Amino acid sequence: MKFDLDAVFVEHGCAGSALATRVLRALARDVPVTYVADAREATRPASGARDPFGSGKRRTVIARRKTPFLKPCHAGSPRFACCGYLVLTLASNCPMDCSYCFLQEYLADNPAFQVYANFTDSFDELDRLIDNARGRSFRVGTGELADSLAFDSITSISRDLIDFFASRENLTLELKTKTDEIENLLGLDPRGRVLVSWTLSPDAVYRSSEHLTASPAARIAAARAVLEAGYRVAFHFDPLIAYPGAERDYLLLIDELLDTVAPKQISFISMGGLRMTPRLRGAARSRFPGDPMLCGEDVLASDGRFRTFTPLRLNLYRTLAERLRKAGVEIPAYLCMEPASVHESVFGAAPSRPATIGERLARG
Amino acid sequence: MNVDEIDAQIRMLAAGRRLPPSHLARWLAMDPASRAAFLDIANVIRLRTGQLMTALETLEEIAVREHLTIAGVLDRAEIRRIAGGPGSAPSRASALLEALRTLRYPRLKKMEEQIRSEVSALKLPRGISVVLPKELGSDELTVSLRVRSAAELARLLEALDRSRPGLARIIDMLGGKT
Repeated sequence: MKFDLDAVFVEHGCAGSALATRVLRALARDVPVTYVADAREATRPASGARDPFGSGKRRTVIARRKTPFLKPCHAGSPRFACCGYLVLTLASNCPMDCSYCFLQEYLADNPAFQVYANFTDSFDELDRLIDNARGRSFRVGTGELADSLAFDSITSISRDLIDFFASRENLTLELKTKTDEIENLLGLDPRGRVLVSWTLSPDAVYRSSEHLTASPAARIAAARAVLEAGYRVAFHFDPLIAYPGAERDYLLLIDELLDTVAPKQISFISMGGLRMTPRLRGAARSRFPGDPMLCGEDVLASDGRFRTFTPLRLNLYRTLAERLRKAGVEIPAYLCMEPASVHESVFGAAPSRPATIGERLARG
Repeated sequence: MNVDEIDAQIRMLAAGRRLPPSHLARWLAMDPASRAAFLDIANVIRLRTGQLMTALETLEEIAVREHLTIAGVLDRAEIRRIAGGPGSAPSRASALLEALRTLRYPRLKKMEEQIRSEVSALKLPRGISVVLPKELGSDELTVSLRVRSAAELARLLEALDRSRPGLARIIDMLGGKT
């Protein structure tokens, strides 16, 4: 495990679970473990901490999830042309610390790293999903409220997931990460049903904003490795940050990516400009006051989020889309949290319905 | 003045202007040269409370963006010109905030100027108004006609039709097509 933990809390009912056993076995000896009747208190921000969110990340809570695991992507909205992504929440929060991360707002009231001992119950939900929608394909990801692989060396959840998804014809699992923690993946056979995706940013963003993550070069190298092990790969240029020099840096990054991973081997690429609600922007700037990436030329957009002013943002999308078009093979691409008009302006065609995009991305 | 005297003056000015404690704390957290430089300009231009807050926030952001101290930002020629230039304190205060905004949003300001100049070049008759999205926060252009007769409507529609290529160019610019 590459990330430090200050403490682990295990809810009484989960003490003998397979997950708790794995985590406790993998922990460093000096990490205190506390058993609690109700884990909710342990998930709350520590009172008196200088950085309650940051300190919360270093506390792991193993508990039962009492609400559904499977939900539509929370970012979905009728005002955006969405990709039909389904989110499987097996954990929440992330040991890495990106300055722009929306979890700083979304999990402000329960920042501890929670991982759910009853995560295999999610498999029943997934089976019900495909039973109720025969013939349809779905792309399901675990990387929305947590990094899919950051703690995989202690939880090994990826192994259970891959085993399950490999035997489900209409489901594609997306493991989204900013790490190079791929060891658990390499010995398994995903049978074409597991996609590993990386958020990619230029070095300037990585160094300024993406604390404790693997370097962009390491992420690309990891992508190459999982590709050779039989996985599909995808990349998220999200958030795109329009700092001075961004266009050149993102194009170089795409070149670096395409030099290592052939365009025809890329399942899809998504792009999404940095967007922050006023509350998130305040939280991020307060935690990372010296990060210039948080002081871009952003203005309050009609969806209530700060975004890079429109011509600059769309120009950056278009430049990257143009570069991808020149790759020689059509790489499926979509925009995250942008309206249909922006898709049309960038890609020259109206986007398909979310279900259609979702199925196309799931099938690959 | 030594640092203690400067801080005492900052506190006095903040109390006089009822500056929120959070902003006073941010001011006092600056390096000594920046504290003094901001005090100097606040006194010279007699910034009001809202202006002080806006200037402080904008200066902090410029300093982060450009890896400068706030004193370094305030020492730029365009700012010094405003601080030491002619005009009333209120007009210099407005000019200062505008200059800071240009430093904070250089590409936005440039793009706004380019698009406004395209709109002016259309020389549209009275009765047609072209409104750009606030701070170019969307790609939506609003064109409205104000008429009182069918003849007037016909005249404005003809004018609008003649301006079609120029309007299309503006829409392209809003959509980031340069």
